[in-house]
Amino acid sequence: MSSLNTFGAVLSFAIQLEADFAAYYHQAGNAARASDAEKRKSKLERVRRENVVEITLEPIEGLDEADYVPNFNDTSAAGQAAVERIAAQFYQEVAPKINVKQAERALERCGQEHAALA
Amino acid sequence: MTRKLKNYIGGAWVDSAGTEVIPVHNPATCEVLAECPESTYADVDNAVKAAQAAFEEWRSTPVLSRAQYMYHFKGLLEERFEDIAKVMVQENGKTIDEARGEARRGIESVDFAIGVPLLMRSDGVEDISSGIDETTLRQPAGVFAAITPFNFPMMVPLWFLPTAIVCGNTFIVKPSPQTPLSMELIFELLEELDLPEGVINLVHGGVQASMSVMEHPGIVGVSFVGSSPVAKIVYETCTKHGKRVQAQGGAKNYIAVMPDANMEASVKNIMGAAFGCAGQRCLAAAVAVGVGDAYDTMKNELVRYAQNLKVGYGLDEKSQMGTVISHAARERIETMIQKGVEEGAEVLLDGRKVKIEGYEDGSFVGPTILGDVKPGMQIAKDEVFGPVLSLMKANTFEEAVALINNSRYGNAASIFTNSGKHAREFKYAVKAGNIGVNIGVAAPSASFPFGGQKESFYGDLHGQGMDSIEFFTERKIVIERWT
Repeated sequence: MSSLNTFGAVLSFAIQLEADFAAYYHQAGNAARASDAEKRKSKLERVRRENVVEITLEPIEGLDEADYVPNFNDTSAAGQAAVERIAAQFYQEVAPKINVKQAERALERCGQEHAALA
Repeated sequence: MTRKLKNYIGGAWVDSAGTEVIPVHNPATCEVLAECPESTYADVDNAVKAAQAAFEEWRSTPVLSRAQYMYHFKGLLEERFEDIAKVMVQENGKTIDEARGEARRGIESVDFAIGVPLLMRSDGVEDISSGIDETTLRQPAGVFAAITPFNFPMMVPLWFLPTAIVCGNTFIVKPSPQTPLSMELIFELLEELDLPEGVINLVHGGVQASMSVMEHPGIVGVSFVGSSPVAKIVYETCTKHGKRVQAQGGAKNYIAVMPDANMEASVKNIMGAAFGCAGQRCLAAAVAVGVGDAYDTMKNELVRYAQNLKVGYGLDEKSQMGTVISHAARERIETMIQKGVEEGAEVLLDGRKVKIEGYEDGSFVGPTILGDVKPGMQIAKDEVFGPVLSLMKANTFEEAVALINNSRYGNAASIFTNSGKHAREFKYAVKAGNIGVNIGVAAPSASFPFGGQKESFYGDLHGQGMDSIEFFTERKIVIERWT
């Protein structure tokens, strides 16, 4: 199963993921983390807009969004660490499959930010 | 009630004088999105008059100010990027990623136009004779027009309009009646710039509007992108009416795959080249020539990848290939596939009669690969403009180059190899205007001219790059003596 099979599918999934993180941290009362998620969302929207050219439109294999579903219902400290781990894993696995350096770097950095909170 | 599109003439949205309309379909859902008027000579004449009236004031507007409009335009395009991409998907059928890619390419052309103040500079020589100086001036030429195709409804008009107007000309766009909605949205954004009335004009329509553009004496130059037979007509008609013209035609683009190529990377790239935009682009890979041992590996890998391509509605992010433009296009493509089969090609992957759940009436053709294609077959010679890749075998590099050069088209050709020698010889010997080395779609960026040779191009100056500065300006030579 490879449901994240295009550049747009990957970036759109990441954008939605960060939107979900922003809402999650708002609910958890952590405005700083919510703001960081919104910044990552804006950055990823720009990356999607600016880096989609013909050479990026090669098929992407081996990524399924079902593997990256955080449990946003648990706002405890342990729950927060768990959702951050899933996000970090997503970015770490997806970045090498994107064949545009600027986009790859942006995804890696998102992964590092999430990993630091896991 | 279906909305009837309006023309944009002299700074206002106005009804066409024409009574005929052309329905604009979403090729995936078959929904009628709008009605495109078949504008008349009177409509084109009104647009020309508005553009002529605006010209003198516009040409005397400082070039830096003219460029500033494009800065603001770029901002609006970035803001509305996703909306523009979605409109393109709805009227053209391409995938959302392809539409985003097109929007990005269109913005690149706006970026290029912002550089016109530098690019319009000209040169001179003091004392060309004793006490006499000679200089060149670049000046705008007047009213230009573009007749643009369905396959890139946003990008292709932006190859021309931004550069033309920043050079000081006024402009008329006549988009494809199959995909006029992208340009409608673009003109809504342009309207926000508060350009002087008449600098930009939009006239919808088909053959009648196109002929009016080509024949109108008030238009000094025409840019065209479309099929080769029509490009030839445009070139002949425009030159007969004293216009400069750049007419980009169709293509039959070959890709040579050498035995030393990185096969996995090559095949992934060829996939995009052959099936991106459902093969409806003038840079699409149409024939892959496997040289020697490369043929069988290439064939097997291409089929493996292509049969896993997800065909679907373009607004679904997971769709990797969308529709062709219409039922008529689908039938034409399927007829050409059948002709290939009758002439002896082997069907390795058959995209005919593909049905997409929820879009059963959509104009879908799945990826199709034909093997053992021979040079004399129609499928090897004529442009399909659909997701059909023909595979041919060559024994040597030289044989592959000969096959490529035998085509009457010369838009693009690519080679996949790890040999610098073969890459160099390919660039040197192949008769095509855009060459790819380990790149399947050799698409020039906005600062380079879009090449094209043989029946793929009629004219002298290509679109994009410095050619476009030449095309959209007159050069005036000034020889001065002050004693």
